[in-house]
Amino acid sequence: MSVAVAQYAALSRRSLLTTVRQPRAIIPPILFPLMFMALSSAAFDRTTQLPGFPQSESFLQFLICATIVQGALFASIASGSDMAHDIEEGFFDRLVASPVSRTSILVGRVFGSFVFGFFQAWFYFAVGLLFGLTVEGGLIGMFGVSLVAAMFAAGVASIASAFAIRTGSSEAVLGAFPLLFSLMFISGNFFPRSLMEGWFKTAATINPLTHMVEGMRAQVITGLDLGEWMSAFVIAAGFFVVGITLATMALKRRLAVAA
Amino acid sequence: MSTSEVTWGIAQRSIILISRLPSAFFPSLVMPVFLTISFAGAFSGIVELPGFPAEKAIDWFLPMTTIQGAAFAGITTGMGVARDFESGFYDRFLASPASRSSLVAGSLLAATLRALAPLTLLTIVAVISGANLHAGAMTIVMLAIACLGIGLAAGAWAVGLALRFKSTQITPLMQSGMFLAVFLSTAQMPIDLLGGWLHDVARFNPMTNVLQLARQGFLGDVMWSTTWPGLLSLAGMCVVLVGFAYRGMQRVIP
Repeated sequence: MSVAVAQYAALSRRSLLTTVRQPRAIIPPILFPLMFMALSSAAFDRTTQLPGFPQSESFLQFLICATIVQGALFASIASGSDMAHDIEEGFFDRLVASPVSRTSILVGRVFGSFVFGFFQAWFYFAVGLLFGLTVEGGLIGMFGVSLVAAMFAAGVASIASAFAIRTGSSEAVLGAFPLLFSLMFISGNFFPRSLMEGWFKTAATINPLTHMVEGMRAQVITGLDLGEWMSAFVIAAGFFVVGITLATMALKRRLAVAA
Repeated sequence: MSTSEVTWGIAQRSIILISRLPSAFFPSLVMPVFLTISFAGAFSGIVELPGFPAEKAIDWFLPMTTIQGAAFAGITTGMGVARDFESGFYDRFLASPASRSSLVAGSLLAATLRALAPLTLLTIVAVISGANLHAGAMTIVMLAIACLGIGLAAGAWAVGLALRFKSTQITPLMQSGMFLAVFLSTAQMPIDLLGGWLHDVARFNPMTNVLQLARQGFLGDVMWSTTWPGLLSLAGMCVVLVGFAYRGMQRVIP
């Protein structure tokens, strides 16, 4: 294994362990979407009978992908906040002073979120299956959805890391949270666009997250659909490309200032 | 200083802290507005459901998000008490000759007053967005009673926890307790349209009656039959949770 790969792996492992070993940091991002899923699928189950509602066995089947994306969003923002903590506490400076590759600082963090997002999606599927969820796409469908979730988690972690590197403040990272939270809610993620109206429907249609979740949802409610999956993956990858570009620029700027 | 002077002094300090530390209070103002827009927009289609009692989704969701905002505004008072413990400032209160009950009463008064902020903002949102105020001014009066009561109850819950744990680390429990109290009720759907376990839980959750009290003017006329269960539930919640806060204060050792 080359030195660079070993460094990437070590920092990814550290990022993942930092998340997993802090119950206070890990439990709310996992539990809140789960709680919202339990409450909404019980409350809105009858809405699946509304004319225009996509053919679904239950509201849980409709909602599961939005829950997965919500979980990925929350956990990745927490990961960005950890990066800011590293800066606040001086660990980042120690990494910079060490002979470790500069890109591994970023890649380690982002890859840790990718892995966490992937397994978090499987966790939500497992809970859903316990409560009667049917996934028409089967195991391959779940794998595909988890892959999109992981890519999206890496994208959000990159965006959060860009904020963290730029500001060096975990509060600033958490302050950016409402922006992504709005993107999550003003969408067709929690209710079908066909049943919306007015400006909200327009905003939901413009929102790329709507199309990402709809592509993921197709694997769950209609079965394997490569076209839908590709569109979801491309959107998630788009978040990643934008995020990693911003984070790389922020890192270069910080390193230049430090030098 | 008399007990009432101490109570007012503590409440005043808590209110002034809003301008000194806006980042702690701001979310309790912004979140309910955002949730109102999100719920009313995303779930606009549910009014088509047979048996759904509202003409517009905003009539159904706005009272719920206002109550949620009042609850979070009340909780910020408890967060303030926890912060004061961490900085050691609360120990100075405890060492002073002020009666302990007046310290609690001051925080609870502040929690109730803080609930006025989301209430005012959401009332403006209701008017601007064209929500139905079927009962005219009584619509807002009923909403205000529910909000002030919930502000007090949430404040008592949060202060009670702050007095026991003396740390801001308890904030997630303060918030999730109130979040669950609101959402394990008819927050999202009317009781007749709820199914399974949530229907059973919502039936016994006093928050269901409080929401009925707050919503009635948005859905139709204000009637005594839909008012008294809410008032009784609010009174019950306040008695239990204010007792929880006072009991916490009795146990505090500086």
